[in-house]
Amino acid sequence: MKTQQVLNILKVASWVIFFGLCIKPGAMLISTFVSLFINPLGARDLYLGLDLHEIYEFNKFHYAVLIGLMVTIELTKAYLFFWVVKTISKLNATLPFSLDMYNMISKMSKISLQIAITAIITSIYSQYLYYKMLHFKPIDTETEYLYLAGILYVIALIFKKGIELQSENELTI
Amino acid sequence: MAIIVNLDVMMAKRKMSLNELSEKVNLTLSNVSILKTGKAKAIRFSTLEAICNALDCQPGDILEYVEER
Repeated sequence: MKTQQVLNILKVASWVIFFGLCIKPGAMLISTFVSLFINPLGARDLYLGLDLHEIYEFNKFHYAVLIGLMVTIELTKAYLFFWVVKTISKLNATLPFSLDMYNMISKMSKISLQIAITAIITSIYSQYLYYKMLHFKPIDTETEYLYLAGILYVIALIFKKGIELQSENELTI
Repeated sequence: MAIIVNLDVMMAKRKMSLNELSEKVNLTLSNVSILKTGKAKAIRFSTLEAICNALDCQPGDILEYVEER
């Protein structure tokens, strides 16, 4: 009963985080569109104080590429949390070890790795822009998603072993 | 698997149905069926004891080892 209550709370919290993560890339895309085609002042506050007007003034192509990379990271994060919601919804507390769970956790590991790789590319690109412009603050790398990918991979392996043990237990009369 | 379960042979000798056996050994019909069809991966000693008691036989009457080639 307690486990089910915790799972229900986690499900609600995951949905809230998922919707929250969808707002950022949407807002950034709209601000970028406004800054590129309507009013360049939009580049000064893309989302919660994100100021990239220096890159905009330097080169619009670099500006668009950097925003594209940042939006990709945010969209992938939202996609990751979509899978978190799906995993929690499908989790059976009585028989947790199933092929579906293993596949979903493996998928989350791969998505986390994608986020980490995109974040590293974004960081390298922003470092390149820093060296070109000399007064632009490079964007920090989100290496925590690399660790998350590793941890999720290990959890997936544990689930795989759990499936073997569970099926053996089910076929023990 | 190298271990063969000859439960159906013993059940036929004792003229016992699957339903009767499952009631006597306190197992579900599906579990007894899994055992009978050779799909079981393992058997508990307590289960083996209950089956031998119900069928009045020895473990060797139910379980047979056949070398895999």
